[in-house]
Amino acid sequence: MNNNLVSTSMEKSFGKSLLYTLPMFLITFIFISGGKVDFSNLPAALAIVVTFLFMNILYFMMHYTGKTDKFRVILFIIFALSLSFTLIKNMMEMRHSMSFSQADLLECKIPFCHLVIPMMIIPAAFTKSIIFPGSVIGGFADISSMIILWLVATLVLGRGFCAWGCFYGGWDDGFSRFRKKSVIKKISESWRWMPFAVLFMVALTAAMTLGPTYCDWICPFKAVTEFEQISSVESVAKAVVFISLFLSLVVVLPVLTKKRTQCSFLCPMGAVNSLSNKITPFVVKIDKKACSECFKCVQVCPLFALTKEDVKNGKASVFCSKCGKCVDVCSKNAIHFGIKGVPAGTMKNFSRNLFLFVSFLFISVFSAGSIINAVQSIFKLLF
Amino acid sequence: MFLDILFMVDSFILGLSTGSACLLTCGMVMFPYLLAGSADVWRITADLSIFFLTRLTVYFLLATASWYFGQVLFMNPVVKSIVPGILYIVFAVMLIWYSISRKRQLQCPSGFVTTIDNRRLIPILLGVVNSIGFCPALFIILTKGASESTLVQSYKAFLAFFIGSSLWFLPLPLAGKIRKKKVLQTIGILATGLAGIIFIIKGITSLIGGLINE
Repeated sequence: MNNNLVSTSMEKSFGKSLLYTLPMFLITFIFISGGKVDFSNLPAALAIVVTFLFMNILYFMMHYTGKTDKFRVILFIIFALSLSFTLIKNMMEMRHSMSFSQADLLECKIPFCHLVIPMMIIPAAFTKSIIFPGSVIGGFADISSMIILWLVATLVLGRGFCAWGCFYGGWDDGFSRFRKKSVIKKISESWRWMPFAVLFMVALTAAMTLGPTYCDWICPFKAVTEFEQISSVESVAKAVVFISLFLSLVVVLPVLTKKRTQCSFLCPMGAVNSLSNKITPFVVKIDKKACSECFKCVQVCPLFALTKEDVKNGKASVFCSKCGKCVDVCSKNAIHFGIKGVPAGTMKNFSRNLFLFVSFLFISVFSAGSIINAVQSIFKLLF
Repeated sequence: MFLDILFMVDSFILGLSTGSACLLTCGMVMFPYLLAGSADVWRITADLSIFFLTRLTVYFLLATASWYFGQVLFMNPVVKSIVPGILYIVFAVMLIWYSISRKRQLQCPSGFVTTIDNRRLIPILLGVVNSIGFCPALFIILTKGASESTLVQSYKAFLAFFIGSSLWFLPLPLAGKIRKKKVLQTIGILATGLAGIIFIIKGITSLIGGLINE
């Protein structure tokens, strides 16, 4: 009886959930619509209304059901798909192709992506130049606004950025949910450190070559965004690398392991964000008194952030993205969102409400543009 | 363009990434000995300098020898592209295997040197054995030395490899104070595997270039 009471303690009544959703409702309305909806352009207005309602229903459901990851992942996957869609659509309109030419590089017309940031630091410090052929201010996905967005999100959410802000993460998160049970179960914990090795190598090569080596040679998401025009053996080799990494780390391995393998084993940004987990105020805590050590949380963690030792020690590792999957699965409500400095097992509801408000606000504001664009295109296609 | 630049720095990256594995197996054998007894700053500096100088000398000798053999064996430009390409791929696969294998050598081959009863000779012998330890990374850099068109380029490749691998040895006197050594070692080993991947790409590109020119 007591267990049942504990397991449902994050749920709220319908009225209370509505009340909690109200601030999000107002803020997202202002951010998404700019304060008013112009119905003279019907597809655009409908896309705004649909996106706005969809986001707020998800947020409401998080409070009403007490489940976090179940609803977060819906928005996260749609964000990833809509961003790729929007980006490809823009490329097709601007260049009539998904590939970019040398002229596009010279004219700095490449949209900026947060994965470049770790590679930019050393060259920027020594040469006072940015090693990315994008627009610094203004234009689509310019460098300065992307850096500011990432910086704010990382300082507040830490590696939470990988579950609540990254516009690529939804791809492997989505594929990791295709099967009910994993085929590959045993993976050495040492592989968790791979993103740090990748970070080390790309930061080094970028510093020495003054070029964004990760984007040039490794990034699997080139397969679903933009890539270099095929014009030489080198560009063919790059395309082969991009496509094979995408198929293996973003599609096949997540399906087989039920883990976000690209984010766990490759992404250098994941390494940087893991380090920022040390300073962020939000953490996932484990109440050792309530924990029955069933280790379901270890099993479901998509980023190998929890080991049995971590559970016994009562804290998630630096790899935690605060996706909430472990929190959702814990029948004892022992694992929960917390705030640094507040003891585990206390202020669970307050911590969760605060974290959800901040993280959901970020993803909804960040993703709104892409989703509206995608929805609008679908409406135009249908009607 | 990018590959050209990458090829200039790949020796350094190879040294830097594999230096951690080298340190993992040999550092703990060599430096407790170098720092043992009444070790003052001057003695440690002198021993370290002799150790590095010996390694550099051995590398320059290897650079000369590999370049000479390259000139003799790879006279045909197509062969000069295809054979190193194949060697790069083979050794890079070995390097990756070395980085992921649980059976990788954890015993330092230069361990026996510390048993020699001549204090002054030890840093020199350590430098020699450490430089010619048969590991995939050395085979890769020898292949690079052999495929360079001039002796100076071969020297540059070995010098970059030497600098990259030596950086790991510099903070060794502070090894006891470094926290999370295991994590750093794991990252270093994984980086070695990534260096292997770079050389596989280099090998494939060299091979394709050779086949196209054939």
